[in-house]
Amino acid sequence: MTAVQLAGGVVAIGWPQLLLASGFVLVTGAIALWMQLGVTKDLAIATVRTYVQLLALGLVLRWAFAADRWWWVVGILAIMTVAAARIILKRAPDAPSGLFLAAVTSMAVTGITVTFAVTGLVIGADPWYSPRYVIPIAGMVLGNSMTGIALSLERVFADLDARKDEIRAMTALGASPWEAAHPSVRAALRAGLIPAINSMAAAGIVFIPGMMTGQILAGADPLEATKYQIVVMLMVAAAEIVGAALAVLMSYRRRFSADGVFLEKGLRE
Amino acid sequence: MAGMPPHTQPALEARHLTVDRRADAGLLRVLDAIDLAVEPGTLTDVVGPSGAGKTTLLLALARLLPGAAGELLLAGEPAFAIDPRVWRVRVAYLPQRSALVPGTVGHNLTLPWRLKVRAGGERPGDGALRAALDRVHLTDVSLDREVSRLSEGQAARVALLRTVLTRPAVLLLDEPDASLDEESAEQVGLLTREFVDVGGAVVRVRHLRSDGHADRRLRLVAGALTDEARS
Repeated sequence: MTAVQLAGGVVAIGWPQLLLASGFVLVTGAIALWMQLGVTKDLAIATVRTYVQLLALGLVLRWAFAADRWWWVVGILAIMTVAAARIILKRAPDAPSGLFLAAVTSMAVTGITVTFAVTGLVIGADPWYSPRYVIPIAGMVLGNSMTGIALSLERVFADLDARKDEIRAMTALGASPWEAAHPSVRAALRAGLIPAINSMAAAGIVFIPGMMTGQILAGADPLEATKYQIVVMLMVAAAEIVGAALAVLMSYRRRFSADGVFLEKGLRE
Repeated sequence: MAGMPPHTQPALEARHLTVDRRADAGLLRVLDAIDLAVEPGTLTDVVGPSGAGKTTLLLALARLLPGAAGELLLAGEPAFAIDPRVWRVRVAYLPQRSALVPGTVGHNLTLPWRLKVRAGGERPGDGALRAALDRVHLTDVSLDREVSRLSEGQAARVALLRTVLTRPAVLLLDEPDASLDEESAEQVGLLTREFVDVGGAVVRVRHLRSDGHADRRLRLVAGALTDEARS
């Protein structure tokens, strides 16, 4: 099978051309060196990672498509979920420890419901696990809910800390942790949803969304590509809000003692 | 042990109340097996150098301090038999500042009745709130005023009023008149006294100067409470 056939008849990128693209990195690296940005090493590593990770992904997907077995698809989704949960915890350094389960659970629930709602109900993929549809859609769902969850978790704990006096006053009046934390939870979910709203508002005017770009480059009809993109954007918004809501609701209580007292910095273990 | 007349049951009692705090050099004992009993209808002032643990004492009494050890009794009933939220409704702690939440004065005054713990309780109407504000000389403050536009003295009175209106059995006040102008401080003192005169018990952390309202003064030094001359 040649690259040209794989790409569905469009102009394929050959291996020599792929290496040529490294020229862009050389330009970037030259500027970084000249301006002494101190990121030359990171840039080199990131470039190598881009090549290695994406080529590996391409090989895995090609193999998964050919294998066409549901357990391989589920296994790949599980690995993606756990990886995303780890990234979330790294991005929310203020969050209390022991949130891994909350992160994994909210990623998994979001990933499963939103992905299969799209592949099953909208696209009508057959069989249900059809890797060509399920894996890329799940990637977009998980990637975006990861962003939403990380933003919301970071925000909820930062906001709780900022409101510690108010929370103490409310608790002293008899408020439950939920009642005291509620304004922070709301602020956090808003923060998690804003990227999706922004990209929905700018889509088609400021930029052509990535998936649609890919489909058009691969030779698809622009209107057909648009329909897919609309589904994807709405799905992404759902993924962000569902993931963020689950993660925040499963974790805010950890900042309160069993007696319902907010654990401000001096009271934490 | 602070004087306890035998004929009444204390509104609030603490036995061997002990609190340790993490400090630079290991654990620091902030409260060292304190015994305290406050009677209904009395106002107890707690004084002492800053950093002595006066706020810690109030927080522990309100069950707002995780890790506090010892025994607490509310009208003879042990703390473990009372849900912490119900406890805080009856033993109301008022922080020194930032006690109000963003919103209007009316929103703040009715906040306690929007909490589940008081579900079914009768929320005071606008008329009652208006009268309460007038009583503490806040005649020019409307219920629609945003609390961010209140002076410090006005905010302190609104916060105290809110807590008093919930009719707790015990009121724990953390420097209620610190950094207030004279008129506001006087109003806060009178409102506190009024609460005591209808049978409430108050523990009040204060600076050294006396305002003449207290029935007794305790001094907190090195983790121990001692009786001072009555003011």
